[in-house]
Amino acid sequence: MVRLPYFTALTTLFSYGLLFAFGQMRDLFRKILDLPKSKKVQGYAPICLGLEDFYTRRLFLRAQDCFGRPIASAPDAWIDVVERYSNDNNKTLHRTSNITKCLNLGSYNYLGFAAADEYCTPRVIESLKQYSPGTCSVRVDGGTTKLHTELEELAARFVGKPAAILFGMGYVTNSAIIPALIAKGGLIISDSLNHNSIVNGARGSGATVRVFQHNTPSHLEEVLREQIAEGQPRTHRPWKKIIVIVEGIYSMEGELCKLPEIIAVCKKYKAYTYLDEAHSIGAIGKTGRGVCELLGVDPADVDIMMGTFTKSFGSCGGYIAASKEIIQYLKHTCPAHLYGTSMSPPAVQQVISAIKVILGEDGSNRGAQKLAQIRDNSNFFRAELHKMGFEVLGDEDSPVMPIMLYNPAKIPAFSRECLKQNVAVVTVAFPATPLLLARARICISASHSREDLMRGLEVLSKVGDLVGIKYFPVESENSHAEAKLKKLD
Amino acid sequence: MAKLYAQTVPPPDMNKNTEWFMYPGVWTIYILFLFFSWLIVLSIFGCNPGMAWTLVNLFHSVITYYFFHWKKGTPFAEDQGMYNNLTWWEQIDNGKQLTRNRKFLTVVPVVLYLIASHTTDYQNPCLFLNTFAVIVLVIAKLPNMHKVRIFGINAD
Repeated sequence: MVRLPYFTALTTLFSYGLLFAFGQMRDLFRKILDLPKSKKVQGYAPICLGLEDFYTRRLFLRAQDCFGRPIASAPDAWIDVVERYSNDNNKTLHRTSNITKCLNLGSYNYLGFAAADEYCTPRVIESLKQYSPGTCSVRVDGGTTKLHTELEELAARFVGKPAAILFGMGYVTNSAIIPALIAKGGLIISDSLNHNSIVNGARGSGATVRVFQHNTPSHLEEVLREQIAEGQPRTHRPWKKIIVIVEGIYSMEGELCKLPEIIAVCKKYKAYTYLDEAHSIGAIGKTGRGVCELLGVDPADVDIMMGTFTKSFGSCGGYIAASKEIIQYLKHTCPAHLYGTSMSPPAVQQVISAIKVILGEDGSNRGAQKLAQIRDNSNFFRAELHKMGFEVLGDEDSPVMPIMLYNPAKIPAFSRECLKQNVAVVTVAFPATPLLLARARICISASHSREDLMRGLEVLSKVGDLVGIKYFPVESENSHAEAKLKKLD
Repeated sequence: MAKLYAQTVPPPDMNKNTEWFMYPGVWTIYILFLFFSWLIVLSIFGCNPGMAWTLVNLFHSVITYYFFHWKKGTPFAEDQGMYNNLTWWEQIDNGKQLTRNRKFLTVVPVVLYLIASHTTDYQNPCLFLNTFAVIVLVIAKLPNMHKVRIFGINAD
């Protein structure tokens, strides 16, 4: 639910209309100017069908310097960003050898494991020396080391499920598992704001896909009832199976899923549930066990729990945790497991050490400290941003907070101004978000100190005034002034 | 303008090419844009108001016909060409006919026609052009014309 001033909605639509009109005019002139050149490649089909790359050419390339900035250090609380320059208005960018040290408000470094850690790094280096960077083999051939089996058991124990299976890439975990679980004749009901990996996996599976309104269990129930009553398209036979896919924290909204209500609806209609905890595992919950712990849902109620190691654990890859039978089945059928190279052993060791730190099994309470730190940091930052008048999305305790920008011109303006003041932020626009709801996504980390956060807030406030994104009235000034008046009396 | 806020929930429309039309403010900006383009035409061409409305009506017809009923597909490649055979008009609201958006978009050319023909006092050269434009546009938007390609024009 976003609230935006009506005037902003009008100006955003107008800006997009203007950009679209200019883009079309430039395309028209390009077509006219290219008429003599078209003789050379006659007979070949064009790579893109005319309109397909319009958005990339005419809108994205204008602001290209705000995306894909190369970095030159580990993504800790402060990060080294490589400067780039362009001679042809952002069509091509060239790297320089200058580096700016910026406050990192964009990396998913929730628990601070991205940089060197006193417990993890020595063990990772040791495993690098022992097992070498790559296994050069598939899991089923010669790629399963002791570390892989240890991590599978540890991940299953951490999440609260009987067994788990690992994959080398987080995106692939979704897009290769969903086709293995469901095929033509099945039904996938996914949240309308699900990640691209889930959308790709659902499309690749061949099952029928239906979408329910974001985080609305009543609409999910409506869709389930309608689909169960209708059956498969055309034949109207009953569905072979129904899987409902939701995420723990939605990375573009920062809000938590209404898991208890959704599980209740799924149980009522006997549909399977698939929970993607890419952003929530390790970052929320009292002991870091994710959204199930935070909302009080028994992990046995969720049929398949998926997560990635790229966010809170500072590594790469993903896992699926489910019952022993499902994991056994996946080990025999999932192509990512049978044909894809296994995870790199140092990366596996990094996850093992990170989970041990979080659980406190390394002998210290650094894990609990980190979890408390990220919770305090997120709540403090979000409250301060609210007070300044920004429109911030996301629930309490969520380390992801998108600041709404709306206007397409404000996206590069915000990004460039922040970079000038040495704060690195990630801005997200179409097509990762709906057209009108462009935003800047802030990810808070446990390695941010209070001073870092204050510096970030100071810069965001200044840039927010410059760019004009403080859509809501500023709160604390009035109440402070009133309190002072009362004191004087 | 007082701080009016509009609340919106992202609609469950997976087609990113048409989902922007379901947000608040789209109808208002469309109408405002037509009004301001009338003012601009008046200032550029210096003609009488009726002629300006006729020009606005004709430009509007050509532009909306091209973008709603001629151009097919979507301006980005993420949907892997699912909509490559459908024009924008056939894509909106997921292909459902007679929704509020479609009714609004059908009424706008008719209202423009009425304004243009009234302000030109139903004089002949303008009247003919305006009537032709509105007939083409309204027929293109009828529910029976969904996915119909007359004489194979613009098919694939």
